[in-house]
Amino acid sequence: MKTFEDLKSQWEEQPQPEIPHEGSKIIMQKINAIQNKQRITNGVLLTTTFVLIGFFFYINAYSNLIVSLGLFLMIGSLIVRIMIEYASIKDLKRMDFTKDAAAFRTDLINYYKKRVTTHYVATPIILALYAVGFIILLPSFKENLSKGFYTYIVVSAIVILIVMVFFIGKEIQKELNSLRQLKSSQTD
Amino acid sequence: MTTQEKAFEEIYRTNYPKVYRLCQGYTNGDDAMSKDLAQEIFIKCWQKRQSFRNDAKVSTWIYRIAVNTCLLELRKKKTVPITDHLKHLEESEDSFSVSKELQLQQLYQCIGKLNTDNKTIILLELEGLPQKEIAEIMGLSHEAIRVRVHRIKNELTQCVEK
Repeated sequence: MKTFEDLKSQWEEQPQPEIPHEGSKIIMQKINAIQNKQRITNGVLLTTTFVLIGFFFYINAYSNLIVSLGLFLMIGSLIVRIMIEYASIKDLKRMDFTKDAAAFRTDLINYYKKRVTTHYVATPIILALYAVGFIILLPSFKENLSKGFYTYIVVSAIVILIVMVFFIGKEIQKELNSLRQLKSSQTD
Repeated sequence: MTTQEKAFEEIYRTNYPKVYRLCQGYTNGDDAMSKDLAQEIFIKCWQKRQSFRNDAKVSTWIYRIAVNTCLLELRKKKTVPITDHLKHLEESEDSFSVSKELQLQQLYQCIGKLNTDNKTIILLELEGLPQKEIAEIMGLSHEAIRVRVHRIKNELTQCVEK
């Protein structure tokens, strides 16, 4: 019969892993790459916001109240969604990995709870505002675009909406599973 | 190389094997996944270096980061089934090493059946950490760890016997 001591010696006898050659240097390079990626992401987000605002003024959207409102709702809801996602990524990065496992798990559970609230409350509101913005713009699209292009925009918007709802649903499912797993391993 | 970088390299070289072995315990012995996880853990060690207090043990600090990183990262990834690791053994001719490896894989498989907390506790116990230090890493009392270690040891030996 095997005892735990047998298992322990089996564990200790396993081949020793090779320490990666220049492993710490590779880690430093990776950290620099992460920081650069972060800077690029910030740049892209900032540029997108400016381009959207610029576009708003370029087409004189402010001269037509209905068009302004439609564009404002669409662009605004997109920006808010991006900002929420960005803040969430920052929250995860700020998490204190040096805490003990029980405290860290509590933080992680709170993080996932916040994510689920975002998905159930903020996301549907944002999606609804985006859709309202689009609907408000439809008469102006119809007036200014060819019939074919107008149909294309309407059909593609419906398809995009269905695809987005599907992906958001999957994401909610994944995060709810994570939350369930975390809670179950805490109570075991 | 700065003084901080030199100190980090020292920490890396001293602790890499333990961190890697701990990761293997979480990934059913998957080498590639364990290497990725170990790298992620050391990235966090560097990023959180300011939070290290000199009155704490370096190993406790690193193990905390390792356990928490594995908890977070493995949620996103699927662990490879143990049968995938066994394929290469079928081709090996050295029966002694094959038998050793099979025993080790069986141990990984049994560890894999435990819940996350129990898995962490037993991996730290297998690494030979004092129960007081395991308690500090887990955020549980020494007594709770003692009781749980006893229970998990029984569970593990029974599983390996099957």
